[in-house]
Amino acid sequence: MARMKFLCDAERCIECNGCVTACKQENEVPWGVNRRRVVTINDGIVGAEKSISVACMHCSDAPCMAVCPVDCFYRTDEGVVLHDKDLCIGCGYCFYACPFGAPQFPQAGAFGLRGKMDKCTFCAGGPEKDLSKEEFAKYGSNRLAQGKLPACAEMCSTKALLGGDGDVIADIYRERVLKRGKGSEVWGWGTAYGKPDQKAAPAGAKS
Amino acid sequence: MKPMVVCRRLFAVAMLLLPLAGTSVAQQQETQQQRAQSQPYNNAPTWRDVRSGKEEYTSIKGRETGVLVQTYGETWRQLKNSWITPIAGWLIAAVVLVIGAFYKWRGSIKVHGAPTGRLIERFTPFERYTHGVVAISFVILGVSGLIMMVGKYVLLPVIGYTLFAWLAQLSKHSHNFVGPVFIVSLLMFIVMFLKDNLPRLYDIKWFVKLGGMISGEHVPSGRFNAGEKVWFWSGVVVLSLLVSASGLVLLFPNFDQVRAVMIEANVVHMVSAGAVLAMSLGHMYLGTIGLDGAYEAMRTGYVDETWAKEHHEYWYNDVKSGKIKAGTAIGQPAAPQAQH
Repeated sequence: MARMKFLCDAERCIECNGCVTACKQENEVPWGVNRRRVVTINDGIVGAEKSISVACMHCSDAPCMAVCPVDCFYRTDEGVVLHDKDLCIGCGYCFYACPFGAPQFPQAGAFGLRGKMDKCTFCAGGPEKDLSKEEFAKYGSNRLAQGKLPACAEMCSTKALLGGDGDVIADIYRERVLKRGKGSEVWGWGTAYGKPDQKAAPAGAKS
Repeated sequence: MKPMVVCRRLFAVAMLLLPLAGTSVAQQQETQQQRAQSQPYNNAPTWRDVRSGKEEYTSIKGRETGVLVQTYGETWRQLKNSWITPIAGWLIAAVVLVIGAFYKWRGSIKVHGAPTGRLIERFTPFERYTHGVVAISFVILGVSGLIMMVGKYVLLPVIGYTLFAWLAQLSKHSHNFVGPVFIVSLLMFIVMFLKDNLPRLYDIKWFVKLGGMISGEHVPSGRFNAGEKVWFWSGVVVLSLLVSASGLVLLFPNFDQVRAVMIEANVVHMVSAGAVLAMSLGHMYLGTIGLDGAYEAMRTGYVDETWAKEHHEYWYNDVKSGKIKAGTAIGQPAAPQAQH
């Protein structure tokens, strides 16, 4: 079974925010929530500017899953980290723990009261029946169930953002690095997926 | 650790500190620019910059949206899951066991002399109501907090996901709404009982004998004994104020406080709440089943003269000599007549 991962090639990202728009369009995300964002380092400095598109990385040892007080997170067979909004109490712990700032909360009342957490689903929906109306209303599109890859990566104009089987996208990136001759840093992979020799978390396992 | 590794680590630390010594952000960006020319595709300086967790440019509006990666979340996770939650959880469980064993051994501490039937007012109605609000809100906060902290390990396997999530949601809401009630009543409580909890010389003697709790010996004390004073200053003043202040940081996430601040507040909150909960169990035990007459004093405000003499002799003497103005049940029909 494939292990789904995201990879953003900093040499290719042009900060068009197409992925952000594609995600919003595809999933009809709640108001005030951005499941994906593009961050530019050294903005406006010629030669030093680098852009990265970031969302939930679907970590192998996901911190959100570890700190959730109601254990509402689960990992699919494809390594996608999803959560159950019916269980979520909106405490904000996953948002504290996440390195990438993925979990977000639509405001549910006065004084910034948090609603149910919302985050990138790798376009894989949620615990509801695949492609059901309820699933779409709570989690957005389930493209994986349709045999498609995440909308953000599929929409990327420069193919900077890759989403899919970790082995396949790593191979694509390796070819690019070989062509360029230098620069093999894949941003965020160490944090999200651990060292290459580290054993992958068992698929579908709760931690 | 091998000396070589130590050297390498020291070198790494020195290299990390180097940019702090005098190089500005503009200079750093310049070096990154130069690096891009001299070593194309080697973005190591850029990723080091990202790793520092500083805010970069993004068109997405919001708090910390420009931070690509934050590393303290993982530290917090380790602290919370491997240290704070298990230690606080087991500490509270251990205190319950110790109190249970003590009760079995010693039983309820009885009044030795016969009750005189004459009652002294120990707490005014206003003091009692304030204590009641503090106590009830404290218990609600404690139970709901424990459900959210250790419920995942203790309750969830027993009652299942649906019911537990419902309970946790209820806990979160009660925690949020009862919290401010606790804080207001706590501040009133502290002001109200501050004077009588100031340390006195005779408290030292009480400490040495632990109030006669083990030996059963009689040790005189003021309106509050040294044990109550310790509970007041450490539990009520220091720990509860810490819990309250950190709780306010967590309760209002709408003031644009960043994750690092909320994480720190959460650590302070969990540690001080765990400590104050463990301590409170001792106070609750003595206020209910542990000490005969204490619950009635809290509930009705009146104690029998014998009880006052045996537990708070100096206070009793002051009341008797008229140094402290305290109402007596005589001539007060509203006060409860039957005691014991």
